[in-house]
Amino acid sequence: MEAPDTFLQLPLTIDPATKAISSADSTLSADLDDLNKLHRTLLALETPQQTPPPPAPVHPKRSVQINKLRESGNASYKKGDFSGAITLYNLAMRMASERPSWEASGLVREELSALYNNRAQVHMAQQNWAEGSVDAECSVELKRVGNLKGWWRRGVCLKEMGRTEEAADWVKTGLEFERVGPEKDKVAELESLLKEVNKGLEKP
Amino acid sequence: MDNGTNSSSNSFNSSSNGTFEGVPPPQPTKSFWTNLLLPALYLIIVAASLYTFSSTYRKRQLAKTAKLEPWFPHHRQRDIYLSLLHLDPSEQASSGDGDSEKKLSRVPDSVLKAALLQRALEDIKRIVQLRQAKPALQTLLQRGSVGDELWQRLLRAEQEMEAEVKDVVNEANAFAPEWGQVIFQSANEMNQNLLIKQRMAEIQDTLESEKAWWDKKRAVIQSDFMKELEEADGKPAEEAKAADAAPVANKKNGSSDDDAVIVEAGGPAQAQGGSGKGKKKGKK
Repeated sequence: MEAPDTFLQLPLTIDPATKAISSADSTLSADLDDLNKLHRTLLALETPQQTPPPPAPVHPKRSVQINKLRESGNASYKKGDFSGAITLYNLAMRMASERPSWEASGLVREELSALYNNRAQVHMAQQNWAEGSVDAECSVELKRVGNLKGWWRRGVCLKEMGRTEEAADWVKTGLEFERVGPEKDKVAELESLLKEVNKGLEKP
Repeated sequence: MDNGTNSSSNSFNSSSNGTFEGVPPPQPTKSFWTNLLLPALYLIIVAASLYTFSSTYRKRQLAKTAKLEPWFPHHRQRDIYLSLLHLDPSEQASSGDGDSEKKLSRVPDSVLKAALLQRALEDIKRIVQLRQAKPALQTLLQRGSVGDELWQRLLRAEQEMEAEVKDVVNEANAFAPEWGQVIFQSANEMNQNLLIKQRMAEIQDTLESEKAWWDKKRAVIQSDFMKELEEADGKPAEEAKAADAAPVANKKNGSSDDDAVIVEAGGPAQAQGGSGKGKKKGKK
């Protein structure tokens, strides 16, 4: 870092109409793209000073919409309309990830984790073990503890694909996380899955 | 009479001894000053050498810290922000419109706020990096695997970071009251969201390869099974070939065959599948 009282004057130009920043220097293009995108989202803000509000109290509008989409996805799944369910879940996921980036990341994690779990379930119902396992992995990545279903789903997918050693490791890790989590009384399901997987390991 | 004169001359003598008026005082002996000269000289030399040593030493330390390689690469977002702050758009030649209304007198506040947010985001990333590096570097330093210079660089980077953070907070407060406290919270959340997105993208990227692997494997299982169905009694040679043709990634099939069979091949094949599998196991 250079001295605090000096800086490098970069060759930036601003377009008066769109107020976008551009530069002759091409190495800055990525940074300037981010800047212009952020600028546009800031302009849409309703706060009095047009500064991002503190991350904590989030406007519930978007969460409500995401929930509605998730519920309709669940309904489609129950009816057996798998592709429709997947489309709805995808839409909900896009909404969740396009939230302004200064809003609480914990909320994003919760929503995305639930959505990935549901999408994994739909994939499993269609026997798409590969997609199901990847989605379940995403869900667990976002929420490690208290996510019994996510651990269980990927374990089942790995087992179905024949990757029994991976499945055994995965379920063991899941059990370690969940045994100290809020759902520790319900680990019986995971334990029975582990037993099945181990049986598969010992067979031939 | 004589006594009187004697005493008067005596008293004269004694009085003249007392006052010293008419007689110039005898010089204090030269040896007094020369005696004083040597210690004084010694003290002067000692003081001068201490002074020169300390000043030279301090200058050298400053030069060494100035020569220290910076920990982080150039802070791009800070440059962007400050350049925008000092940019004077009215100097730019207007490309199409000659309207004076469309010319900006200065860069609008919203752009500056966005640039400041980006700067705060980059700062948060650097702070996280520093926090991770510090204990690791301490351990390495204690074990003696690295020199002191790396540690000095880290400390300097931390100091610069603190100054930078204060600067950002002041600038933020200039835009909106109390934004200074909020801006770093917002930047932190932005960083977290960015990390989430990156992680999800990574995992979803593996989807392609996983799908391809699973499709290949499923095709192999199916073709094996079809072969078994064709032969009623199952010749050993062909079964061995089928067993070898199983995927190179040596994952055991175990129970998965049952499910694949039940779903793909349908009812009547089940019984044959069971018998074919029994024979396959015999060969293993």
